[in-house]
Amino acid sequence: MLRNTTARFVAFHFLLAALSSLLVLAFVYWSTTRVIDGEVRQVVQAEIAGLSENYTTMGILGLVRAIDRRVRDIDQRDAIYLLTDAQGRMLAGNLSSWPPNVSPGTGWIDLDLFRADTNKQSKLSAATFLLPGGERLLVGRDAQARVAFDSTLIRALITALGLTALLAALSGWLLSRFVNRRIGEITDTADEIVAGGLTRRVPLRGNGDEFDRLGSTLNAMLDRIEALVGDMRMVTDSVAHDLRSPLTRLVSHLESATDETQPNDERANLIQRAMAEAEGVLKAFTALLAIARTEAGMGRDQFAPVDLGKLLDDAAELYAPVADEKNITLRRHGNGSLVNGHQQLLAQAASNLIENAIRHAPDGSEIVLDSGVAAPLLAISDHGPGISTDDLARAVQRFVRLDPSRSGPGTGLGLSLVGAVARMHGGALRLSDNGPGLRAEISF
Amino acid sequence: MSRRILIIEDDPETSAYLSKGLGEAGFAIETSPNGREGLFLATGSGFDAIILDRMLPELDGLSILKSIRAAGIATPVMMLTAMSAVDERVRGLKAGADDYLIKPFSFDELNARIETLLRRPAITREETQLNCADLELDLIARSARRGERMIDLLPREYQMLEYLLRRKGRVVTRTMMLEGMWEYHFDPQTNVIDVHISRLRKKIDPEGAFPLIRTVRGSGYMISGDA
Repeated sequence: MLRNTTARFVAFHFLLAALSSLLVLAFVYWSTTRVIDGEVRQVVQAEIAGLSENYTTMGILGLVRAIDRRVRDIDQRDAIYLLTDAQGRMLAGNLSSWPPNVSPGTGWIDLDLFRADTNKQSKLSAATFLLPGGERLLVGRDAQARVAFDSTLIRALITALGLTALLAALSGWLLSRFVNRRIGEITDTADEIVAGGLTRRVPLRGNGDEFDRLGSTLNAMLDRIEALVGDMRMVTDSVAHDLRSPLTRLVSHLESATDETQPNDERANLIQRAMAEAEGVLKAFTALLAIARTEAGMGRDQFAPVDLGKLLDDAAELYAPVADEKNITLRRHGNGSLVNGHQQLLAQAASNLIENAIRHAPDGSEIVLDSGVAAPLLAISDHGPGISTDDLARAVQRFVRLDPSRSGPGTGLGLSLVGAVARMHGGALRLSDNGPGLRAEISF
Repeated sequence: MSRRILIIEDDPETSAYLSKGLGEAGFAIETSPNGREGLFLATGSGFDAIILDRMLPELDGLSILKSIRAAGIATPVMMLTAMSAVDERVRGLKAGADDYLIKPFSFDELNARIETLLRRPAITREETQLNCADLELDLIARSARRGERMIDLLPREYQMLEYLLRRKGRVVTRTMMLEGMWEYHFDPQTNVIDVHISRLRKKIDPEGAFPLIRTVRGSGYMISGDA
């Protein structure tokens, strides 16, 4: 039974509650009895003081009278007195005989005696004295009240334990029922996701408690997984789309090339075209793979300080001759700023953006390569046709291609990789109107 | 005595393709289809270079490479991989590979790189100048002249020319130049290197002069004074 978490929890809860009420009551008992005992002794002490004064002023007869007076006093029911001569014969008091095994003058004692006046077995605590004339004196108090208190307290203890047990069981059961219900919701969600419902999320109460926090963390994780799976699907779709048509062309070129009736130079030409198609397929494939890996954050272990200024200087120098062919000037802006990043991927992102800009910028225009002044950034601005406002947001989405026909050169996946690189560096790719033209900026 | 190359590659097609091409290029070839045997051969008789596949049955390429290097064998190793990621390349080079090629590659690319690997130790003596026919590169003054004519070069053009001259008579691929001079381990979409070369060419080989920088179709460039 204790394998069940609920039972274990209830048992543990009960043990703790029982232990704590036991401790509390034990403390109450201990401190109360100490007070009671102390009071009894004080009363007895006062009586002894009074009697001893009677004895010193009026001798043994004065003492006998004082005791008789006190015994008769109805309020002194709890008080016990016994005065005997040296032989143990009673002179005064309400105790019939000197208790056995008690020698006078031994200080405080606890006794169990049968009281003649009340006909009851009594507990009493008393002090004994040996007077100078050989007489013995016992002054005590019936401890019956104390005994009654003890039994009351024990009854209280048992009742408290019983109640505690009941409450512990009840609260434990309620608490674990609550916990189980919340966990059950998470389990149910997980089960449904396992069964294929990846869009399912853990229900939240909105009260911000631990379960809500756990739930929202799990939901965030599920969002990420769903996004990745979605990307994955888009990758497969893109792969299918991007690779099927060139592969089909490749096969048809090769098929035609195997036709032996064709002239040799025509067959060589077909093989050349097939090779070009194969190269295109490889490029697209490499790009898709790189994007998928970057989106998955692979390569983060190679992060190192990268000087964005130097990175853009190098890129500008590499692309200057290409830009020059279109009479385009590459102008550097900003200074050297260090970021922690992946050197190769950042260089590739910059190179993709620059190639894009050169491709679209009009002859004789200027392209600005900005590495940021105050904060590090990587921005390429051109004066080309730009992207329409409707498409700006769409263009930075994963694996989105603005030009579905892809008539231009390149795989058309350049921006997707740049976006992935930006996300990998905890930043974002922002496209904006450069009035006219396009400004692509990676912030860090 | 012809130079010997060990090919450790499990795909029989690739292995045959490499053996045939490298055999025709004048190398003596030995092949092994699995990691364990490959390691045994590699640690044995002296090869001039080893071509090692990244993924192999029994023992993978990285482990073999580490074992070879741990055994103190410094034979140049060219890693081949189908994993086209920059991180993979770094791991390969860290494990002791001298060069790294991503599948699929053209045979010319491989051949050019193997030639470079085999020549590597030769650059020990201090050179003060590099020549090719009547082209002369002064490494001290960092200046170039062709015949009597001084050539004005930008720093990067000088660097490119030096890179080509140090590999005189051998093919230098575009990828090799991107890696060697710009440290770009990816292929840009545009033909950046071609444009750089054509600019350099205009300065080195003016009209009417004997062309020294040649385009090797499908592979890259080569500087050579031979007719």
